[in-house]
Amino acid sequence: MKNFREDLKYVGKPVPRVDSYEKILGVAEYTGDIELPGMLHTKLVLSPYAHAKIKAIHTEKARKASGVVAVAVGDDFPFRVGLYVNDRNVLARKKVRWAGEPVVAVVAETLEQAYEAAELIEVEYEPLQPVLDVRDALKPGAPLVHEELGEYAHSPAFHPIPGTNIASRFTLKKGDVELGFKQSDVILENEFMMPQVSHVPLETHTSIGQYMPDGKIKIWTSAQSPFTVRHILSVSLGVPEHKISVYVPYIGGGFGGKAGINFEPLVVMLSKMAGGRPVKLELTREEQFITAPVRQGLYAKLKTGVKRSGEIMAEKILYVYDAGAYADYGVNVGRAAGYSCTGPYYVPNVETESLTVYTNHPWGTAFRGFGHFEFLWAIERQMDLVARELGMDPVEFRLKNALLPGKTTPTGEVLREDAGRIDECIRAVASRIDWGKKPVAAAGKPRGKGIAALWKAPAMPPNASSAAFIKFNEDGTAELLLGITEIGQGAETALAQIAAEELGLPVEKIKVVPFRHTDVSPYSWQTVASRGLFMDGRAVQMAARDAKNQIFDIASQVLRVSKEDLVLSDERVHVRGRPEVGLELRQLVNGYVYPNGNVVGGPVIGRGFYSAARLTYLDPETGQGYPALKWTFGAHAVEVEVDPDTGMVKVLKLVSAFDIGKAINPAIVLGQAYGGALQSMSLGLLEGYFYDEKGRMLNPNLTDYKIARASDIPEEHEVIIIENPQLDGPFGARGIGELSMLSVETAIANALYDAIGIDLKNLPITAEYIWKHIQAKKEKIPVEAVT
Amino acid sequence: MLRSIKVVLNGVERTVDVEDHWTLLWLLREKLKLKGTKHGCDRGDCGICTVLVNNTPVKSCLVLAPEVNGAEILTIEGLAKEGSLAPIQKSFIEHSALQCGICTAAFVLTGHWLLQQGDGVDRKRVAEAIDGILCRCTGYRQIIEAIVDAARKK
Amino acid sequence: MLPKFLYHAPETIHEALELLNKYGREAKLLAGGTDLVVDLRERKTRPKAVIDIKRIKELNVLKYEPGRGLVIGATVTYHQILEYEPVRKKYPVLWEAVKTVADEILRMRATLVGNICTASPAADTAPALLVYDAVVETASKNGGRKIPIENFFTGVKKTVLEEGEMVVSVTLPEPPADAKGTYLKAMRVWSEDLALVGVAALVADGGKDVRLAYASVAPTPVRARKAEKVFREDGDIREKIEKAVELAVASVSPISDVRASKEYRLHLVKTFTRNALNRLLGVEAVVVA
Ligand SMILES: Cc1cc2nc3c(=O)[nH]c(=O)nc-3n(C[C@H](O)[C@H](O)[C@H](O)COP(=O)(O)OP(=O)(O)OC[C@H]3O[C@@H](n4cnc5c(N)ncnc54)[C@H](O)[C@@H]3O)c2cc1C
Ligand code: FES
Ligand code: FES
Repeated sequence: MKNFREDLKYVGKPVPRVDSYEKILGVAEYTGDIELPGMLHTKLVLSPYAHAKIKAIHTEKARKASGVVAVAVGDDFPFRVGLYVNDRNVLARKKVRWAGEPVVAVVAETLEQAYEAAELIEVEYEPLQPVLDVRDALKPGAPLVHEELGEYAHSPAFHPIPGTNIASRFTLKKGDVELGFKQSDVILENEFMMPQVSHVPLETHTSIGQYMPDGKIKIWTSAQSPFTVRHILSVSLGVPEHKISVYVPYIGGGFGGKAGINFEPLVVMLSKMAGGRPVKLELTREEQFITAPVRQGLYAKLKTGVKRSGEIMAEKILYVYDAGAYADYGVNVGRAAGYSCTGPYYVPNVETESLTVYTNHPWGTAFRGFGHFEFLWAIERQMDLVARELGMDPVEFRLKNALLPGKTTPTGEVLREDAGRIDECIRAVASRIDWGKKPVAAAGKPRGKGIAALWKAPAMPPNASSAAFIKFNEDGTAELLLGITEIGQGAETALAQIAAEELGLPVEKIKVVPFRHTDVSPYSWQTVASRGLFMDGRAVQMAARDAKNQIFDIASQVLRVSKEDLVLSDERVHVRGRPEVGLELRQLVNGYVYPNGNVVGGPVIGRGFYSAARLTYLDPETGQGYPALKWTFGAHAVEVEVDPDTGMVKVLKLVSAFDIGKAINPAIVLGQAYGGALQSMSLGLLEGYFYDEKGRMLNPNLTDYKIARASDIPEEHEVIIIENPQLDGPFGARGIGELSMLSVETAIANALYDAIGIDLKNLPITAEYIWKHIQAKKEKIPVEAVT
Repeated sequence: MLRSIKVVLNGVERTVDVEDHWTLLWLLREKLKLKGTKHGCDRGDCGICTVLVNNTPVKSCLVLAPEVNGAEILTIEGLAKEGSLAPIQKSFIEHSALQCGICTAAFVLTGHWLLQQGDGVDRKRVAEAIDGILCRCTGYRQIIEAIVDAARKK
Repeated sequence: MLPKFLYHAPETIHEALELLNKYGREAKLLAGGTDLVVDLRERKTRPKAVIDIKRIKELNVLKYEPGRGLVIGATVTYHQILEYEPVRKKYPVLWEAVKTVADEILRMRATLVGNICTASPAADTAPALLVYDAVVETASKNGGRKIPIENFFTGVKKTVLEEGEMVVSVTLPEPPADAKGTYLKAMRVWSEDLALVGVAALVADGGKDVRLAYASVAPTPVRARKAEKVFREDGDIREKIEKAVELAVASVSPISDVRASKEYRLHLVKTFTRNALNRLLGVEAVVVA
């Protein structure tokens, strides 16, 4: 299906990133680098309890400390914020809901003074019984994390159940699951888990807020989604959007953790208390772990029915997401997992319940791979377990059930012809890992191979949209203004390439404006969900075409030919077939000036937008409908080596394939593939929030919350880019950002069975956890007993 | 206590006033406004605060400001000379060895140091040299390639 | 953000001791700072004065003399130790242990003496120093002491050092002529970690002189003397190794924490001890899997 232009000049090339120079010189601006006149600093006082009543807060001593300008407590801010469910306090009110929740904020002239004063704050608590496990949270009579759930405003796509800890319940019914089980020869039931994990952006959350007495609000922040910050703040404070300006410079890693709205309302309100002076909050690493939002944990229960011949007939699914203390964004994770619940397989009969559940853990939010990393761990392990039960090869079993174009997804959508091919991804990685050829153990260290597949669609409201401007300068160069933020994913570069291709203008002649400012930047809903390249790409294409049309309008008058007969290439507009008759771009983009001084046209500003097409809300009972802008497919295969003495795993080779439609910039795609894969491995093998019995995090630092370093990467990583174009994508592209971090750890777990015959069901699969399974196998202890 | 120290900072001799309890990181970022040096943990784990002191990579959050009295300090701001990038910087761009960029200065400076340490700069050697610096975005592979390639071209 | 303190950078041991005397318990010595600065930041210590010893030239000795052994001064960094050829040749257990500490950037700053003065149970260099029977040399106003490393640690982050006393150097005597050894460290990752368990093993005297020491398995680094004794007697070497493994396990008392469980640590003590001894004593490992 190769019906896209092949003669591309800028798209498809590994052009250097447009943000390279600033970053390589150390002059790129991040929020933490910004200093403003009169700026004040904040230190937070955090709750040491997972669940407790706040009895009294003594702030007198702190207020008198030197340099202190303001001390704020929860009751100073009697409103809630939230993206989908309006459940979050700016500072804890009445009670604390997790250990690490901010209770008091101290604002002082210097950070040192804020620290000193914060030590003088005393808070009296009355401990309440905490809920520290999602399964316990669902039990009748469990302590409630949110007694007032029924009062919270929420988007119509979500279904909170007041009087319980269920922040949202998503249900899906496709076909007749009971009938499907009746038609099955084999039925297998399994449970899987993963803990909460942190995004660990190396730049911690940093925000500066200013609330001036005239009601104007200014925010400088490391936020992925400036327009969402503005919108939510506007709704929460009742301040019109034009009075709120949000400025976002470069972001030092987001991965979803800086999406939605986070500490912006706090700094804005603190500034109001400080008479309008700007107030800065920069989280410490410990605060980043315990106070900033995290990835939700998951408990999954799967029941799969299959025919002996290998067709999956029925799937009954329960996903329970550990939202932690607040679920303002987290509810959408549960929803996204709900409608993608089966993984990239065709299942005729599905019944799914996906719950997002409050606990007294840190609050959850978006994280690259949004719900999918979590549930694909369950689904892709289950695929191997079922294949084994059938005595079938895992690759063959996956191919047999592959969700190919023409088949229906769990929500009843018929997968479109140009949707990309899961079967090609699976075949590609299987072939490159020499699937079927048993690896040879070296030096007493068994080796094994494993495979896992993946799919994902952007999780967003059906009406999400993006816009772009292209503004020409007098000399024929241009500025590209975007609403999507640059969090490292390379959006600025890829979008500049798209603009360059459309305009026939070298990438060097397009400056991507390296910041977002809601006053001047075009709208983009959020920088999440791997939607940026697709949606903002379409918006850029439209903006470029709009600009081109304006240029042709001018040129057609000057050259006296119809617009249809004009060609724009190499920074020149000429008459089709007569390249010598033409005008330089710079003669046109600010209006054409005749020798006598007359002018036609004027400054060219292209404007484009894209709104997701034909998406719908899902049926509240059956979950049927159209949630997906596009589906993207991929697969990984690995060969691993295990040290049975320690349980340490080495990934010898990783092969990844993604059907991304078109690689706009192959170097950036590789970077996403390498980086995502390592994040997936790191989360799956090393990371997790470990709590004591009172719900306090035991490892809130990078000494004991290990993340992968250079010597931990796979020895070899081969990336296969498959390009079945998405017909409505920009140049056929779908985007890759999140895809690369799905399922790698599952492929590794599957390979561990191949290597040493152990079946892992809980993440993280640490060396110790693997060792315990090796022991259990030797001593014939059931795996359920292994913790 | 406030005291005066002398340093050669990015090739320029300077006298600066420091408090005893400041870290070098604090001195660079907050007092000298050299914001190219980043920080991610302030306790030695992330390494993104790495600068060269007497041509040796150090994590600046673990060094006290008065300790560098008399030392030569190179930060990312001092690497490009007279408007032209150092070879290691060029290599990072060519290999797309950066994403969000918050860790980049630390890797570039450490790579720059490694290039001066003689031969044998292969992937394993580079990985070992940069194990003290975290990157959450790139998966390290393109960073390693950028340093190995710069060493090869030397 | 560090709490306030006064910084001093004496240039002689004498000046350093004067300062130690002046501030008493309110003074903290600073070598590489990789432990101290973290403790300051976390308010685990709030000294009035921080005394930087890196400008004291006499503390930077690193010298091996045949017959007399190896002297490592208080400001000698891990990097210096790794680069010093005699260490690799004569003290392989130490060399291997040093190579596992933290990461290369940190090793260019952190010191071995700082490591033992912090006295963390996880101190990677301690087991190596234990198997080489190192002696810690100190100085104080009342003169110095020579403390065998085995008597140096008294508890978690506690040593025998007294107020006003500082470590000047550590001396490792000449190892037995045929000594071989290794340091095995269990980590959660391949790259950089504190020891979940560290095992130092040294074998000399044709297999009769065996020394074993451990990190991260007791409140202090420990030497397993009882296990060592097994090798002085005659008997089947495999049986002796198994006996030693058992006695080694009996001489440690690991806890469960966020890094590892007690059971895992005990297992690591077992297999690492067995693996190290098999290799050093030239015994073919029996595959038990
Ligand atoms: C990221 C990171 C990773 C680490 N990884 C490891 C690891 O893998 N293994 C490991 O064992 N350790 C590790 N450490 C701990 C630390 O690096 C080592 O303990 C190091 O050897 C300490 O040496 P230093 O010179 O930095 O000591 P400093 O911090 O300067 O001093 C340590 C302590 O000793 C005291 N002291 C210093 N010199 C003297 C002296 N001459 N006399 C008396 N007291 C003195 C100081 O007052 C202080 O209390 C790590 C630390 C960090 C930050
Ligand atoms: S800030 Fe210095 S190592 Fe993290
Ligand atoms: S590029 Fe983002 S942390 Fe390295």
